[in-house]
Amino acid sequence: MDTIVAVKDLTQKIGKKTVLDGLVLEVGTGECLGIFGMKGSGKTALLHILAGIDRFTSGKVLVAGLDIRRTEGFKKYIGLVTQERSLFQDLSVAENLDFIAVLKNAGRDNIGPLIRRLELGEVLNQPAGTLEAGLYQRLALACALLNSPRLLLADELIGAIDLESRRIILRELKSFLAGGGTCVWAFSNAEFLPHVDRVGWLEKGKISFYQPAGALARWSGLIQSLAGQGGDSDA
Amino acid sequence: MRQILDIAHYEMLSIFKEKILFLMVFLVPLGYAALFGATYVTAILGNVPVAIVDLDDSRLSREIAAAFANSPHFKVVDDIRTYRELEEGMKNGRLRAGVVIPENFEQEMARHTLTRVLAIYDGSNLIWGYNTRKYIREVFNDFSASNTASYLAGLGYTKNEIRSIMDTVSLNTEVWYNPTFSYANFLFLGLVMMILHQIGLLSVSLTITREKERKTWLQFLSAPVPAWKIFAGKSLPYFVANFFNYALLLWFAARFIHVKLSGSLPLILLLGFLYDLVITGAGFFISTHAPNSLQVTRYVMLLSVPFFMISGYTWPATHIPAFINYLARLLPSTWMALGFRQVTLKELDISYILPHIRALGLMAVLAVLLAVNFTKRLKPRPESGTEINGGASYPVRWK
Amino acid sequence: MLNQGLAIMRREVFYLCRDRGLRHILLCGSLIGLLLFYAIYSAQVLKDIPAAIVDLDNSSASRELAEKISKAEYLKLVASLESYDDLQELIKQGRVIVGIVIPENFARDVALGRQARVLAVIDGSNMIYATNASAAVLTVTRTISAQAGVSALVARGVQLKQAQEAYQAIDFSEEPWFNPALNYAYFLVLALALNIWQQCCTLAACLNVIGERGMKSWLQIKASGISKFKFFTSKSLAQILIFMAIVLPLYILAFGVFKLPLNCSLPAFLLFTLAFAIAIHSIGTLASSFARNAVDAARFGMIIALPSFVLSGYTWPLEAMPAYLQKAARILPQTWFFQGINYFAFKDAGWNLMSHFILAMLAITAVCYGAAAILIARD
Repeated sequence: MDTIVAVKDLTQKIGKKTVLDGLVLEVGTGECLGIFGMKGSGKTALLHILAGIDRFTSGKVLVAGLDIRRTEGFKKYIGLVTQERSLFQDLSVAENLDFIAVLKNAGRDNIGPLIRRLELGEVLNQPAGTLEAGLYQRLALACALLNSPRLLLADELIGAIDLESRRIILRELKSFLAGGGTCVWAFSNAEFLPHVDRVGWLEKGKISFYQPAGALARWSGLIQSLAGQGGDSDA
Repeated sequence: MRQILDIAHYEMLSIFKEKILFLMVFLVPLGYAALFGATYVTAILGNVPVAIVDLDDSRLSREIAAAFANSPHFKVVDDIRTYRELEEGMKNGRLRAGVVIPENFEQEMARHTLTRVLAIYDGSNLIWGYNTRKYIREVFNDFSASNTASYLAGLGYTKNEIRSIMDTVSLNTEVWYNPTFSYANFLFLGLVMMILHQIGLLSVSLTITREKERKTWLQFLSAPVPAWKIFAGKSLPYFVANFFNYALLLWFAARFIHVKLSGSLPLILLLGFLYDLVITGAGFFISTHAPNSLQVTRYVMLLSVPFFMISGYTWPATHIPAFINYLARLLPSTWMALGFRQVTLKELDISYILPHIRALGLMAVLAVLLAVNFTKRLKPRPESGTEINGGASYPVRWK
Repeated sequence: MLNQGLAIMRREVFYLCRDRGLRHILLCGSLIGLLLFYAIYSAQVLKDIPAAIVDLDNSSASRELAEKISKAEYLKLVASLESYDDLQELIKQGRVIVGIVIPENFARDVALGRQARVLAVIDGSNMIYATNASAAVLTVTRTISAQAGVSALVARGVQLKQAQEAYQAIDFSEEPWFNPALNYAYFLVLALALNIWQQCCTLAACLNVIGERGMKSWLQIKASGISKFKFFTSKSLAQILIFMAIVLPLYILAFGVFKLPLNCSLPAFLLFTLAFAIAIHSIGTLASSFARNAVDAARFGMIIALPSFVLSGYTWPLEAMPAYLQKAARILPQTWFFQGINYFAFKDAGWNLMSHFILAMLAITAVCYGAAAILIARD
């Protein structure tokens, strides 16, 4: 199995806080790696580094074999779904797809199929800013996939959204992986642990790897120990 | 190329969607030009209100009063008769000048006793001050000449003889470039350059901060589009709009404010092109570095007055300390305003404005280099702490 | 009750300080402005206007004339040139503002009683130079033609005394009032610095309402049940006090150190300034109460604050503007304030006029605050 992401000793300090502390991480082609952690654990920081948005303090990151500090060339292989709403709020759905295709220099051939698969046909003329959460995430995924990326970086791909959208997004993710794509998916909801191949658990700037079942077991253990302490857990 | 034009197309869309930005790009420059144009449209300071305090009331003193009344520059305020009233009028702004003819003036003139007319003018506003001083001297020169002429006529000389005596040595004054002393010719186009500078800089400098505030900057950063294409695409609409405004404002100035706008058209276009390029490049550079639109707006707005005053466009550079002049030479507005005046008012050819073209060209290259070399990586910032309006946001009314 | 107001005022001061951009602008903006403008106009009086003489005659008479011209007030001879073309060149380059051309055969023509025409050229492209230069040339003109005329008459056999009588000019002395040396620094430095000051204050005031309503903490304020009137009054009071606090060092520097003229009393001038500070604050408040966001508020405020100096008639006089513009300009408090600097700092025009000016500014203030109050209450 080829390695598409290789991270070595990645450290990210923001202000005085060490957000990522000597991370080592490899992602194989075709894999779906879940990055699991609570708010503020550094998931977004990691994904923004992998996407080539943020600078980082030290370490080495290779994406598709390219050192991301040296080149921008790897960006044509990636697609990014951000946690924050980063689509163009005052452009319509169709315009968003068109413009982001322009930015990615991806051609417009993929737009039609993506609209069909993510079932965006009915909202093409709505401004992205007024979309409901579920539709918005479908659009965000469609935009990320416009350039047929080899690596999908998805930050909170599925939040608290309607079930229909969730089904559509998971279906698309599956077909993306089936087509040989790689995905790094960050989330904070343990519910999604079974959907990934492997889990990287981020905590205090360190990452530890689990199989999905193992991660789930650890999570349940944590919840139970809290309940045992008499704390009122409702997770 | 296609990609650049597409980016430009979407930048246009966002200009059209944001009403205030649209007004700023297409209407505010003309609005300001119209406002300043109306201010200076009179162009020549005439009708200076003057009071004649005639304490002599003789033939000669009445002649002096008549000389002022007949001058196109002055308007005699009739109801002021005493020195006290004159003082009061000068203080409350009814008067800008006064002439006091002392008692027994005619007699003492005839006796060759030392006597003087007192001419007073308001020096607190030097536009009044400088002009009034000049007008007063003109009136007295003319009056003296006619006085001499009538004296000589009394000696029995003919008109021709009088003329030849009086013109033995005549000093003819030619005022070049702006012979009517039109204030509009002098100042207005300089202000136009500042309007273009300010509005151009401000509108371009919001282009990236806007994306930062809306988080859409992430889309640009994560996409494989090179920095120079982002610059080219996003600033193209502003570059075109600025150039359009340049042409529009010049046309407006010539057509409605009747400002003298001659000289070589290719040079005017070249200067405008370079100026536009510097502004667009610099604005984009500012935008990539500024935290948010509010801070940009604040700082950019404050530039106009110091930039204009420092340029030597009004108070001449020869009388400004050297270090200020060096500072001024770092600013494109200085070179543009002065160079533009050389071309349009003095009608000079390219050899006289080569330094200006060189400076603006250099600045244009520098600005564009800075603009295209922004890094596509952000330095992540800590949560802003107690600081206000420092991050990528500012107060927005929310529902 | 009072404590609540004070707490709000204190928080307002923190807010202004923690906004780095605003802090810099308020603290440094007008002071840097004052220093910069003082430096620009440090020559103060426009003396030494560069002049050149082209003496094509090169006789003792022409040299005498050149000597006389070069001694004229405000002119400074920087070059003696060989030809008219050289002069033209220097004027084009802007290195010479006044040029005097003495024709060939000047001495002979004068001696023979023929007409000799001396040419004075003035570069009119910069009005400040041009008006000063032409005033200087006018004086020279008079004395030269008088002297020549007297000798011409004497040559025709008129007695010297009679000839002088013919040319006995009306002697007049000039008195520029309020600014006897025609000092350009006196004229502009303080006004320009105050122009920067009012722009900075406008920027701060433009955050007054939107700066609260645009923040999530507005929910806390709404939930707390404090009256909006009381809340914004306290805030505004703090802002106006800050505006006055930053104008004080400006005045100390301007009047105390730079010795710019202040002919009315300082307390009266401070009172006048206070009225203006309140007036610009009211404009900022109005802008901030209908703007959708802080940037728009800043733009609305500045759209008024930026051109207001030109419109105020402090430089190009109000009286020379078209009538409709004069009326429109009087709607702006800046017009009253900058006119007031002229009337009170220079002319000490008296309390009657000042109270009139203050009332005008307060009337504008009342309208702006009133409109803002309606907008705030309606929300």
